[in-house]
Amino acid sequence: MNYRPDESTLIAYLYGELNEKETKKLEAYFQQHPEELVKLRGLDEVRDVMSHAQDKEVIAPPVFVDEAGVKPFWHSSYFRVSMGIAASFLFLLVAGKLLGPEIKYSNGELRISFGNKTEQPVQSNGLTEEKVNELISSSLAKNNESLEFVRTEDQKKLMQTIADFNSKKMNELTKTASQASQEQVRSFVSSLQEQNLKLMKDYFQLSTSDQKKYMESLLVNFSSYLQEQRKQDLQYVANQMNSLEKNNNQFKQETEQILTSLISNPGKKKNNY
Amino acid sequence: MAETLLDIAMMHSDSLIARAREGDKNAQGKLVQLWYKRIYNFSYKFFFDHDLAMEVSQKTFISMHKNLAGLQEVTRFKSWLYTIAVNYCREETRKKKASRSFSLHDLNPGEGEESYRWEESHHRNENPERQLRHSELSDLLQSCLMQLSQEQREVVIMKEYEGLKFREIAEALNISENTVKSRMYYGLEGLKKILEQKKITKETIGYEL
Repeated sequence: MNYRPDESTLIAYLYGELNEKETKKLEAYFQQHPEELVKLRGLDEVRDVMSHAQDKEVIAPPVFVDEAGVKPFWHSSYFRVSMGIAASFLFLLVAGKLLGPEIKYSNGELRISFGNKTEQPVQSNGLTEEKVNELISSSLAKNNESLEFVRTEDQKKLMQTIADFNSKKMNELTKTASQASQEQVRSFVSSLQEQNLKLMKDYFQLSTSDQKKYMESLLVNFSSYLQEQRKQDLQYVANQMNSLEKNNNQFKQETEQILTSLISNPGKKKNNY
Repeated sequence: MAETLLDIAMMHSDSLIARAREGDKNAQGKLVQLWYKRIYNFSYKFFFDHDLAMEVSQKTFISMHKNLAGLQEVTRFKSWLYTIAVNYCREETRKKKASRSFSLHDLNPGEGEESYRWEESHHRNENPERQLRHSELSDLLQSCLMQLSQEQREVVIMKEYEGLKFREIAEALNISENTVKSRMYYGLEGLKKILEQKKITKETIGYEL
């Protein structure tokens, strides 16, 4: 007999959850293999020992009934959304009724209007291109005529005034020329010559006197410069002479001192050795 | 006696669950009162930590409150509730690993000190000395339980302490019954070795108590 119970069968037997047929089969197996039964009893002993682990006492916390889950119908999101859509649609209807909107599409023109319709005066399309051209050409012709008229008038006036002015001036000149005699012309010419002569004289006189003054001042400046130069040279020479004298005196004094020291200390050098 | 009555109430709470599922707030409150201790103890044995057990219990019942309406079969309430609890336990374990924090229980006590004396005890009606010994033993066994792998620990706690059937455990963990039984077998074997290491036997327990 090759029957060998698996762990699940053994456990089921241990907890009395094995069916009758399997139980008998297993008990027969245990008779043949008593060591397996001992092993199983060992597990039963473990159960017995472990059953001494007691339950902990605990107090169940008070239950707070949460009513948040029960929402009235009008608080449901479905109702709110549908009511929102309905309300906005109603608002649009009322606004439409009050404002009286009109949407019209005709001849490629979309027109949206509000309020009462106001009749606009219909403009007649009687003007043709030819008529417009006629009107423009007639108005241009009128304008040209008036401009031409004004221009000719102005020209006439201008010519009149120039002619008047020239004739007056010529008359005056011819009058004075005819009145002047030969003597008067001579005297006029001679006076002109005299005036010229006088001008020339004055010019030459003035230029010669200025040249004289300039030369004099030049000479004076040169002589004073020479004198100054001489003074400076003399001063320099005197200084040089003084310095020579001083050097000479100093030399003299030094030689005297040397001589006196030589004379006064004839044997001192020897002692130094 | 009180626990027996509570167990009976839990066993026959189908109508209560049905009412709670329909949105009856009082029924939901009663369900919390009935199941809070069980979920707390499951989580406590899972973590061996009071704060984490409280955290998981609260999250489990908040989730129960939110999702109860979606429960298809009233008879599956128990496994459904443990599914929520075990998922939160796993989540907290992941967080714990990520934060690398550990409770005082993770610290091994010194030699000759097998107990965690700071653990609270609520058995007020018993002899204080006996109560202390029970508490120490519970903590000792709990520490043995903590040495099992997470998968084996889940199954052992659900079967041994929460009294779920193998079918219910399989539903709660979304695995086959055979896998549950296999994990249970190896879990008990592992515990046997751990108890032997700690020299805890039926006789020593009897002597201690």
